[in-house]
Amino acid sequence: MARAPYFSSPSLQTLALQNPAALAADQHAALLLGGFHPVPTGDGLIAPQAKQGQDEDRVARVHDTGPGGAGTLDRINVAISNWVGDHGGRLLLGLSFPLLLFIVWQASSLYGWLPDQILPAPSLVWQTLQERIADGSLWDDASISLLRVLRGFTLGVGAGLLLGGLMAASRKLHDYLNPLFLAISQVPTLGWVPLLILLVGIDEGLKNILVALSVFIPVTLGTYQGIRDVPHGYREVGQVLTFGRAQMLRTIILPAAVPAIFTGLREGLSNGWQTLVAVELLASTEGLGYQMSYGRQLFQLELVIAAMLVIGLIGFVFDFLLGRIENHLQRWKVAA
Amino acid sequence: MKRTFLAVLLGGILSLGTLGASTAFADQTVIRVGYPGVGVDNQPYGYGDSVSLAHVGHFLEDAFKDNPNIKVEWTFFRGAGPELNEALAAHQLDIAAGLGDLPSIVGRARGLKTRFLLPASEHGSLYLAVSPKSNINSIDDLKGKKVAQFRGTNLQIATDAVLEAHHLTEKDVKFVSLTTADGLAALTSGNVDGSFGGEEYLDLQKRGIVKIVYASKQDAPIFGTNSAVFVTEEFEQAHPDLTQKVVTAFVKAAAWGSTEANRPQVFEAWAKAGVPVASFAEDFEGQTLARRNTALIDDFIKARYADKAAKAKQYGLIKKDIDLNSWFEPKYLETALKELKLENFWPTYDANGKKLTDGMVESQKQAAAQ
Repeated sequence: MARAPYFSSPSLQTLALQNPAALAADQHAALLLGGFHPVPTGDGLIAPQAKQGQDEDRVARVHDTGPGGAGTLDRINVAISNWVGDHGGRLLLGLSFPLLLFIVWQASSLYGWLPDQILPAPSLVWQTLQERIADGSLWDDASISLLRVLRGFTLGVGAGLLLGGLMAASRKLHDYLNPLFLAISQVPTLGWVPLLILLVGIDEGLKNILVALSVFIPVTLGTYQGIRDVPHGYREVGQVLTFGRAQMLRTIILPAAVPAIFTGLREGLSNGWQTLVAVELLASTEGLGYQMSYGRQLFQLELVIAAMLVIGLIGFVFDFLLGRIENHLQRWKVAA
Repeated sequence: MKRTFLAVLLGGILSLGTLGASTAFADQTVIRVGYPGVGVDNQPYGYGDSVSLAHVGHFLEDAFKDNPNIKVEWTFFRGAGPELNEALAAHQLDIAAGLGDLPSIVGRARGLKTRFLLPASEHGSLYLAVSPKSNINSIDDLKGKKVAQFRGTNLQIATDAVLEAHHLTEKDVKFVSLTTADGLAALTSGNVDGSFGGEEYLDLQKRGIVKIVYASKQDAPIFGTNSAVFVTEEFEQAHPDLTQKVVTAFVKAAAWGSTEANRPQVFEAWAKAGVPVASFAEDFEGQTLARRNTALIDDFIKARYADKAAKAKQYGLIKKDIDLNSWFEPKYLETALKELKLENFWPTYDANGKKLTDGMVESQKQAAAQ
């Protein structure tokens, strides 16, 4: 259940607490709509009435800033403790499994469950990471891989939004193109490698095309679904308010389609990143995937694991960033 | 439901018991031999060394034919030395036959417990092949170019030494790691500007598909590739007698492969891997079989491995120095030479490649020439 994102920045709340008169009419209205009901207390501050459950805690903590008013340091303090309170439990849960894996890994290298050449000790992997950060080679490889994935992602998203939008707009076009699109989407992206190598060689073109292809498919599907699934009622509102096509698109259809489109984007980015690493394993002269292949050839599997960790971290950051952008774009949504 | 489950569990345990009983009676020893490489079209054959001759001529199997409890199992690794190292680390091999110098050094630096029994090949050739229309005419022109090379094999250290001699490093060239077969295909289709490899490129040059702009044969001996036969310490300690028989069989094969009279048959045996006889003839031109298929642990081969180990550390391919002295185990070789009366068969060379003693095999050749 999404909390009203309009209030995820403490500034509006704090503003409301400190100086309700300073709020403009629409901000005031938004606060009311979001269930933030200011109530004057004796000491001149106003305290928002608790809505329910979770917000109660949050409200109580915000209120504990003391009679002098919320100073900057206090505000930061409050923000952090609010965040930890909200997300801390989930953060701990999320970390528990990787922590368990790490313990098993450490035990394996201590007790020799797997040969040291096949599963190097965590300390060796950490040392390798430090060395590669120190001599700049990690940044070189990571930046090359990142650039490649961003290029392919841009291409794939552009093509996917276009095709998805067109297919959603025109039933005929959808009937023509969908069967071919479905067939192509069944072929694993790496299955195209032998053919593409013959056509474009093993240079950047190969990586761009393969990453773009792996991004294009989920983005098209997401866009198509998202636009098609805009509730008919919303469209009717637009028609009643005599919106033109551009305005309809901008104010009703695209915002409503955001969840599905972003699901497509996240899956696309994740696919694109995985495809890039796989292609770099096969045919590349630099990059994180190349590091993995090189590590294997020179029997330095700590290079492989270090690269895997970096790859996983970058993938995680990608997903997180897209999630934040999605939340921002959905700020019109009022918590149910 | 519960009863069915218990019944199945009981049945499973009982059947496992019978399985245990049957294997207890077998008492078979399998000698698992690994070769780092496959033929040009992935055939399970090697080339260019004495151990492939041993494989084709069944020298190992013949040594154990009177003993039905001992089986010899050959595995050919498409991933060459690096993949063979992984199998060694996972305790899946007993003998590494023909493992290249760099992978064996890398393995030892990573703590693989092996013993160096005898060399399998010396002075192996390194060639740089490019497209005929290419503007690359020598090693110096490689700067910034995309070159295929099977990374982690003895080709890599040989290439690095050549690059160093031309004041280049690995960072100056964009290396793509491709297997032998893939490297051939990549160069033929123009996906890479050049490719480092062995005698498999000679046939392509003959057919005009590539041109060879560097040959290590015309350079100093340090630029050649070497390979050797290794045994795991585990297997050696458990079966010293079998290790001895294996070494004797390999020495026999090496002696056969060093006799000049057998030159055509040697090339034909290697041709089973898909490289034509003419390529070997060209590669071995001006060299005796004995020089390349020698089975002796002399100062030359020890110096070559010391060289390669030092260079490997210098180029950052290994992280720490390795102990070479305890690696060589010549006692099985010496026993084999005595048994086969081949003590003076091969000439010995010093660390710089100068001959120290003559070998009987050369006088045989001279006798044949007369």
